[in-house]
Amino acid sequence: MKFIKFFVSLLIAAGLTYILNRPLGALPALGKLFSPFEGFWQNGGNQSAPDELTLEGIKEEVSVIFDDNRVPHVFAKNDDDLYFAQGYLVAQDRLWQMEFYTLAASGRLSEVVGERAIELDRYNRRMGMAETARKIAESYKKDDIAFKVLTAYTAGVNAYLKQLSYKNTPVEYKIIGYQPEEWSPYKTILMLMNMRQVLNGGSEDFRMSNALAKYGPDIIKDLFPDYPVTESPIIPVGTKWEFTPVPVPAVPAEIAAKPLTKDGAVALNIAAPAPEIGSNNWAVGGGKSASGLPILANDPHLQLTLPSIWYQMQLSTPTMNVYGACLPGTPGVTIGFNKDIAWGVTNVGSDVMDFYQIKFKDKTQKEYWYNGAWKPVTIKIEEFKIKGKEALKDTVFYTHHGPVLYNHTSEKNFSKNVPVGHAMKWVGHELDNSDLMGFYYLNRAKNYDDYRKALTYYKAPAQNFVFADNHNDIAITPNGKLPLKWKEQGKFILDGSNPAHDWQGWIPAEQNPTVKNPPRGFVSSANQFSTDPTYPYYLGWKFAPAERGIRINERLEAMQKATIDSLRSVQNDNFNVEARRVLPDVLKILAEDPANASNSAYQALAKWNMKNDPYEVGPTIFERWVKELRIWVWEDDFSVQSEKEPMSHPTRDITWNLIKNTPDAKWFDNLNTKDKVETMQDIVKESFKATVDSLTAKLGPLNAETWAWTKVKSTDINHLGRLPGFGKQDIPNGGGGGIVNATSETHGPSWRMVVQLDKTWPKAYGLYPGGQSGNPGSPYYDNMVDKWAKGELNELLFMKTKDEKSNRIVSTTKISGKK
Amino acid sequence: MPYIIILVVSAIAQLFLPWWVIAPIAFLVGMMKSKSAGGSFFAGAGAIITLWIAYALYLNISSDGLMLDRIGGLFSESLKFLKNIPYEVSFFTIMALIGALVGGFSALAGYQFKQLVK
Repeated sequence: MKFIKFFVSLLIAAGLTYILNRPLGALPALGKLFSPFEGFWQNGGNQSAPDELTLEGIKEEVSVIFDDNRVPHVFAKNDDDLYFAQGYLVAQDRLWQMEFYTLAASGRLSEVVGERAIELDRYNRRMGMAETARKIAESYKKDDIAFKVLTAYTAGVNAYLKQLSYKNTPVEYKIIGYQPEEWSPYKTILMLMNMRQVLNGGSEDFRMSNALAKYGPDIIKDLFPDYPVTESPIIPVGTKWEFTPVPVPAVPAEIAAKPLTKDGAVALNIAAPAPEIGSNNWAVGGGKSASGLPILANDPHLQLTLPSIWYQMQLSTPTMNVYGACLPGTPGVTIGFNKDIAWGVTNVGSDVMDFYQIKFKDKTQKEYWYNGAWKPVTIKIEEFKIKGKEALKDTVFYTHHGPVLYNHTSEKNFSKNVPVGHAMKWVGHELDNSDLMGFYYLNRAKNYDDYRKALTYYKAPAQNFVFADNHNDIAITPNGKLPLKWKEQGKFILDGSNPAHDWQGWIPAEQNPTVKNPPRGFVSSANQFSTDPTYPYYLGWKFAPAERGIRINERLEAMQKATIDSLRSVQNDNFNVEARRVLPDVLKILAEDPANASNSAYQALAKWNMKNDPYEVGPTIFERWVKELRIWVWEDDFSVQSEKEPMSHPTRDITWNLIKNTPDAKWFDNLNTKDKVETMQDIVKESFKATVDSLTAKLGPLNAETWAWTKVKSTDINHLGRLPGFGKQDIPNGGGGGIVNATSETHGPSWRMVVQLDKTWPKAYGLYPGGQSGNPGSPYYDNMVDKWAKGELNELLFMKTKDEKSNRIVSTTKISGKK
Repeated sequence: MPYIIILVVSAIAQLFLPWWVIAPIAFLVGMMKSKSAGGSFFAGAGAIITLWIAYALYLNISSDGLMLDRIGGLFSESLKFLKNIPYEVSFFTIMALIGALVGGFSALAGYQFKQLVK
């Protein structure tokens, strides 16, 4: 009896302890998580660094001054210490986030979250980001500046990791149940690969091939032209090309792979370039500013997440002093300013990812047909460790073009868009290792020549680098490694056996489009076409829609005596250029329908001031209707939804042009109604009715409150790892995809910056929708979101020296080396 | 007495050792100091409840409850009923329950062990 009593109580005690110390299904180890001595309770609050810190690896004393927004201002005496401190400080605030990006890019998420990430992992691994990052990391020589910077930064991150105990580990590790790994230069390169994928990792090639096969070249030319009807290109029309172009490869007789047979026909592809991934930047010259010196603005639009993709820092040594937004995991400042210059980036939408149809000799896929002979395939086995499961092996086949993304139709594709049996050629695989040096030199640049020199180091993903300095120079350069293509090369799936379809080289870097001090007195970009068609090289057939660029350019054109505030108001401009273009015509058509006379939605639209302001009803009706209309016009002809042969809808630009100039085009007839031929007017009216009906079904009868644009759009800033409760939902704001204030449901201005150059000391403003701390329990986790939603900016504290006095300084940490 | 000893020893031990160190501590104290089965259980459970609640209260108040809000949001996404109770109530209860069960049964096991070998 005594034994049973003992045995039962011991069993319960030991069993409970054991169970509570292990993850239970989706639940983390509860004992560990709830214990106040090491669990989540330990992560709350603003955890500030001590006044004194001793770290092995620091050579001379480093001062870190934290301001009231938790921005670290680092004053080091040499570069090694500077980047060491940067690594340490970023890790202190963003460790989980930076490692998460690298796990995703290298296809290792399943190791921590289990089987549900395996398709994403396989996709990312096949895309070859880990392989490319590894090769780049190995390519550095010991004396390379980039290598020294990477090594110092890595040492800083690892110094932070070394003193980290479980109770101080970021709460996400505790919840998901894993431990941080050592950092390495390879992981920093993975961060850059991640940006290559986000910004350059989409393709419509296979959709275009399907459309070409169905409709032939003439219709494609008509509906998918190589330049839009309305455009306001980045390099102003009329800018002279001051170079002698190199010969462009001749257009081959066949510009696309032959249509696929039924067996191989496939139609799954990688995601089309995301329209929300875009950005704005511009600089006005001294002639347009109140101060007589340039003002520069930038707002990169990315997926909005908490923690935010950006981290603010000031980095200072005796030879450099720079402030700006940094990418966690990456040394240096990515977008920012120093005493003399300011720079910013937006993405270049050129076509840098192509797909090649591969003809294998047999099922083993060991050889493929190229240039009249069989060429061997390189086979690589990838292993995936999966949490709670056995490891999985996957064979990846590499051709000289690049990896074959998926090879069997039956395979479950993560992304619905990958052409099966197709090899990918992607600028993201380029092994140039100098991207970091582009930023390294921009951080130190003093004038236009330094800017131009810095750009020569930067390769991918190509960016529109805007520039302004206090010598009154402004400039913009779509810059990066751009393939030298024949016209329309890669608009469709290419023939992997035809050498003429290979990429033939690169546009000489110095011939990338650029403009300095244009007569109009400002430069700008919003991801639209880099140039008009007079540029001697083919960059791609589709860039971001022109509306943001058009609006920015007309605002800046009209602007005189610009101030920081006037540029801030452009960043927050909610005017809907598309509505201005089409609404008058559309309203006329809708007015023909007598039912609309008493339709409150029609009246709301007719009265709308064409601004996507948060509490307007007009944008709700307009934006939803535009979406609906394109489905009504195009889905029967160019089905996006089709499982078998998905295509793309022609652009909004083409749709509006058709409505205005070719209203009797056959495309307006709905092929699904056999006994009826719809006119353009029918489609406009019926799609409008359908839109209002579905809005009413969802939101009730029209009401200024429930139909308000901000409510319907409902911008969410979710946690990067999608942990419920760790994000911020329903942010009150206006804007939209084609609006300068490009805040959509999930994407938007991820950092807003305005810098006024000055002969003595610049004045700068900026913020991002998040906070400096990556810790969800910190008051600095999301403290900038409300201000961001209102369109306000923070004044940035840009210190001249570490001894400068400011009432915004909260604390100072002195870091010294271990003797 | 066992209550105080478990409370003090496990407070110090948990600063350096993992949370489950409360189990062996409660076991040993239950074995050496407890006079009855019920007494050992309540000493073990009570000590850990007191200690954990006091420390968690301190941490939660000094961080304005920000972390608890997040954790509450996380758990109540799938356990909807948690939305209807203040997180302070539900999460302190869950924590107290975890600590009480482990501390209580460990101390009881210790006491029973002594009865067995006595």
